[in-house]
Amino acid sequence: MSRTHVLRTLLIWTLLELLAALQVPAVGGGPVLFSWLRTLVEPVAMVAHGAVALAVDLGLGARGLQHAIVENRQMRIDLETLRARQILLQADLAALREIGDFAGSNAEFDAGALFGRCTYRDLIAGTMEVRTARSFILAHDTPVVSAKGLVGRVLRSEGRRHWLQLLTHAAAAVAVQTEDSLVHGLALGTGSNALTIAYVPRQAALERGALLVTSGGDGIYPPGIPAARVTRIRESDGPFLEVTAISTADLHATRMVLILPKWAPAASGGLP
Amino acid sequence: MRFKIAALVAVTLVLQRVLGMPGMPAWFGHLILPMIWIVAASLVRKERHWPYEALLLGLAWDLLFGPVVGPGGIAWTAACLSLYGLASVVADRSPRAWAAFGAVGAVVVILVQRLAVMPLGLASFLTFGQLAWSALLTGLWCGFVGTVLALDLGKHWRAYQVRKLR
Repeated sequence: MSRTHVLRTLLIWTLLELLAALQVPAVGGGPVLFSWLRTLVEPVAMVAHGAVALAVDLGLGARGLQHAIVENRQMRIDLETLRARQILLQADLAALREIGDFAGSNAEFDAGALFGRCTYRDLIAGTMEVRTARSFILAHDTPVVSAKGLVGRVLRSEGRRHWLQLLTHAAAAVAVQTEDSLVHGLALGTGSNALTIAYVPRQAALERGALLVTSGGDGIYPPGIPAARVTRIRESDGPFLEVTAISTADLHATRMVLILPKWAPAASGGLP
Repeated sequence: MRFKIAALVAVTLVLQRVLGMPGMPAWFGHLILPMIWIVAASLVRKERHWPYEALLLGLAWDLLFGPVVGPGGIAWTAACLSLYGLASVVADRSPRAWAAFGAVGAVVVILVQRLAVMPLGLASFLTFGQLAWSALLTGLWCGFVGTVLALDLGKHWRAYQVRKLR
């Protein structure tokens, strides 16, 4: 029997079987042929349904993964923020300890002194914004110091926010003297970190590196607070030396300051 | 000639129907009369093509005796193809061969028909005894026809008529 005969036989037999299946009713109604077709189609439909479900699950999984990635990124940002805040808090705490030690070592700073936190500074303009924990109305010219020395004075006060004029401000002037009180002068702001020490007599025994502290002669700042350190001394044609100093208070890095309301001119009524 | 054969096939089918009528012996149901046509086609025909005649015979069988149309066509074409194959390897054309071919055809028709209706849920119970009886009776029927053809009774009848006229 040839291949054509075999194929023809199979084809005709299949058609006859399908014809017979079309005539026999199935249990659930309808011809047996339909149930055969359903039997053939159902696995394909199940596979298609499974594929669709798989695709949906994959989509949901991808979306969940994307959300997880976003959340993870956000958590990393939060973690970095917390770390940064922790570093800032540690710096604040260190500054607070330092300034606390500074305040504790100075008997003249009584319990009326206030801690303030520097929130903004403009060293070129010579201003600084300080915030206190509670609202205070500070008097004009209230002195402000840091752990390393004099910072400046209060210009304006509004609730918890207080604006300072730094001692490096171009219009600032602080009466200073050497630690042994033999040389007096007036530290003038220059708009930079350097200070000009004016009115130092030519015969004054002043050396480079000498520490200058407040003398209290200006009626604003209490005496004995480190204010500047001499960096350059030049003789001039005039009666005074040209002395340049630099502020001892590290105004670039100062975070915590100590406000001395008791020493405000209005509160103290002048020099103590 | 074709019309004559078709008429004779119709006669065998009618006779098959008569064999199943009430009142007839039960063993008549085992006899498959139209089997003689595919046995004759396989033993007598010189050129064999695909058995469309067997297909028509099977469909007619289904129309008259089956619950559905289709399985009979499969069974009868399968039987015819089997007998074609058998005839190509068996050289014997004696009445004994006719009987054997009839028995084989009956077995193939019955088995294939049962197989064809099995997926439809219509397969009935079949015993070896039923199958053997069908093979035996159908074989005897085909052997009888083969014997008649071998004796060539028509030739003897025509010779008798010639002698009588003289």
